[in-house]
Amino acid sequence: MTSVEETVEVAVPVRVAYDQWTQFKSFPRFSATVRRVEQVRPAVTHWVIGRGPVCREFVTEIVEQVPDSHLVWRSLGRRPRHRGEVRFRQAGEGRTAVTVRMWMEPYGPAGLFSAVPGAAGRVLRRELANFRTYIEGFGEACGGWRGTIRGGQVRPAEAEPPRSRVPVWPVG
Amino acid sequence: MKKPPREEPRDELTVTPPKTWAAGVPAVVHALEYSLEQTHPRQTAVDLLTMNQVGGIDCPGCAWADPAPGHRHRNEYCENGAKHINDEATTRRISAGFFREHSVSDLGRRSDMWLNQQGRLTEPMVKRPGRDHYEPISWIDAVGLLAEELKSLDTPDEAVFYTSGRVSNEAAFVLQLFARAFGTNNLPDCSNMCHESSGFALHETLGTGKGTVSLQDLHHADLIFLVGQNPGSNHPRQLSALEEAKRNGARIVAVNPLPEAGLLRFKNPQKPRGVIGGGTEIADRFLHIRPGGDLALFQALNRLLLEAEDARPGEVLDHDFVRDSTSGFEEFAEHVRETSWPDVLAATGLTRQEIEDVRDDVLGSERVVVCWAMGITQHKHGVPTIREIVNFLLLRGNLGRAGAGACPVRGHSNVQGDRTMGIWEQMPDSFLDALRDEFGFEPPRAHGLDSVDSIRAMSEGRIKVFLGVAGNFVRAAPDSAVTEEAMRRCRLTAHVSTKLNRSHTVCGRTALILPTLGRTERDHQAGGEQFVTVENSMSEVHTSRGRLKPASPLLLSEVAILCRIARRTLGDGPGHLPWEEFESDYGAIRDRVSRIVPGLHDFNRRVARPGGIRLPNPVNEGVFRTATGKALFTRNTWQPPHVPEGHLLLQTLRSHDQWNTVPYTQNDRYRGIHGSRRVVLVNPADLAALGLREKDRVDVVSVWHDDAERRAEGFEVVPYPTAPGSAAAYYPETQVLVPLDSVADISNQPTSKGILIRLERPVRPLPPAH
Repeated sequence: MTSVEETVEVAVPVRVAYDQWTQFKSFPRFSATVRRVEQVRPAVTHWVIGRGPVCREFVTEIVEQVPDSHLVWRSLGRRPRHRGEVRFRQAGEGRTAVTVRMWMEPYGPAGLFSAVPGAAGRVLRRELANFRTYIEGFGEACGGWRGTIRGGQVRPAEAEPPRSRVPVWPVG
Repeated sequence: MKKPPREEPRDELTVTPPKTWAAGVPAVVHALEYSLEQTHPRQTAVDLLTMNQVGGIDCPGCAWADPAPGHRHRNEYCENGAKHINDEATTRRISAGFFREHSVSDLGRRSDMWLNQQGRLTEPMVKRPGRDHYEPISWIDAVGLLAEELKSLDTPDEAVFYTSGRVSNEAAFVLQLFARAFGTNNLPDCSNMCHESSGFALHETLGTGKGTVSLQDLHHADLIFLVGQNPGSNHPRQLSALEEAKRNGARIVAVNPLPEAGLLRFKNPQKPRGVIGGGTEIADRFLHIRPGGDLALFQALNRLLLEAEDARPGEVLDHDFVRDSTSGFEEFAEHVRETSWPDVLAATGLTRQEIEDVRDDVLGSERVVVCWAMGITQHKHGVPTIREIVNFLLLRGNLGRAGAGACPVRGHSNVQGDRTMGIWEQMPDSFLDALRDEFGFEPPRAHGLDSVDSIRAMSEGRIKVFLGVAGNFVRAAPDSAVTEEAMRRCRLTAHVSTKLNRSHTVCGRTALILPTLGRTERDHQAGGEQFVTVENSMSEVHTSRGRLKPASPLLLSEVAILCRIARRTLGDGPGHLPWEEFESDYGAIRDRVSRIVPGLHDFNRRVARPGGIRLPNPVNEGVFRTATGKALFTRNTWQPPHVPEGHLLLQTLRSHDQWNTVPYTQNDRYRGIHGSRRVVLVNPADLAALGLREKDRVDVVSVWHDDAERRAEGFEVVPYPTAPGSAAAYYPETQVLVPLDSVADISNQPTSKGILIRLERPVRPLPPAH
């Protein structure tokens, strides 16, 4: 597996940076490579990424998520496999250091790209810069989810989150 | 297209070795062969190419989920689905002349297959008291006759309204609204007979009535259990999901009394490896379990997991999950540690080594899914068995996580949606309150009758009117003789149907056939062309649009029929419910649903999106809406059935060439049975012990506390690798053997599995074909 780590400092409080990051469906608004994200469940997201004619879909499981601290994810499925984490650390009054680490298993044509020394780091650096521009431009997050995930299992912040309000009577 | 048969098919049994793989090219050939017997090539092509596509027809064949939009095959259906949809789209027609030619008595002697093969019903028919023939009746008179009969009842509880799982969400909502506005909760449904045990067990332990997994979860599981189900014949598209899981590295453990072909190997006809290659091995491990031994198996596995945790503290159980999200662990653990190995081995027929090997599979797997079907739910201890499966999943945190969970595999295409719409005799007050607030009437609060209790009430003369929407209640219900007698005691029976079946021939003093549009047909109403919605087994609600011209200009949609019955029964105009608006625009129904059924807000807009609405499962949101607010560990007990010498445990099952109560042919090619359905499959060792040989003719006689004789006559014996001590025979021919009082604990579901039988030399000449 190849690994990459980048940090960006953004001029918003930790809570704002964290909340915005976890609004995964908004990634296409600032990202140059993310085309679409579906939040299947709190702990499962479906991503479509690509540049030009190259396009790839994958599903990730959020394994750990602690508000205003960090989240850890991993891809599901055969290939290409990757895992990663993002951590949020206060970097002075109203500022946050966002650190992303990723481990990737090169596979297929896109894998050749990630195997080029420094290439993945450059992409990640550029995406984090895009995130900084976006969140600093708005100054506030477009939403927020304050639940916790441990071992892939969700601990909601409220007793009855809206998505749990569905028919629960027995179905034969 | 072939003409409908005039004569009954001859019973000529031939037996070949059972197949060791399912699907492949023969599945395509058989599907096309049957389709082209029923209709012409163009219609077949329209059906098949729009089936299960975004904006197309939802296959009524089963409730298996479709892949996400953009990931579907051009041919997104299976052999059984293709047969089923073209069985409905048949160009054969039943006219008034057919009913002049055939009396009700004559039709009552016909087989299920013959009745189905006659084609589509085309106009309303009535059988009047004292007459033995159906005759034409106009829609206005037919609806008026039913409405007047309903209005004449002493109490609304003298009527029952039965729903089969083919009924759309819109029709189901209208039916339950009508029944409750009329004043009764008597809403039996086919769920009562298939997965009622699942609903009760999951609701009690997890706070949800539905399965927790999606197709993606199956794709990403490490270990999948297939327990008491036969995907090759009953939900073949599941095999594609299992194939994908295997390619992702999953292992599969199949647990079944019969080594079904679909459990062993799958040749995917959509893939080159399935056409010219060897296909995909499905089960890595096959547990040849005795019928009903599943509870003992999971209890033994749970004991082994606890012991593994004792040996490696902190490494086996998901302690965080058990501590934070469950209750009852200590009591459960104490109970399950007392599981007796001799009892387990006797109940399962397995060896301890086989069970320990499965334990090792579990310990090597991070994500586990357990799938089950009626091989579990239709046992007396179906509910405790599913609760024990939940225990098993809870121990290692295999719930509420990607790639893990509980997967009850449902049969009817909208059986889940009908419940979501309120078809249940015990709907909670929250739903009834919402109904009251939306429509301004007070729904009845007393629980109504389910299927078994409806039959009992009809037998006792407490039910005067039976309305069945879709399905074939008489054949789907247990204790055929009792059920038929019960139906005949009704003043009026009415069926909303696409095709002829035995429920039309076993009827009340007055009987109505109300012919309806099929799922495949265009539905034009005053408000324009309509679509309906359905919910699959994985809680995805989506549209279904018919593409074919209706079989007759005199057909009404299910929604239209129910709205007209409601208008005539309850009245129309100011202060009444908007039945006319509902009939002209199904969107108006969905608007009301969106304000009553939680999770379906903004129904019309959201369901129009490709793929429709995915209803979340609270378990995957970290919410357990149980009595304690946590997932419940339970203590479950079982008693091995007492099987006297010379007796066997029977399970009823479907053939491969069959959809629910409808056999398409007399063949069951995966099991090597050809030319007859009156066969009983028995382990060769048991046959030898009973002094029987292949093709010996026997009566199958069930044994029950009431000592009443229940006899299925004229069966041929076939040696088959059923689990020792057990037998299998086709449904619905053997429903006659299932006592009405033999029901699953808690769920009241008829026990079509684990029936105590003996095989007797025939006492009478061969019976009529049915």
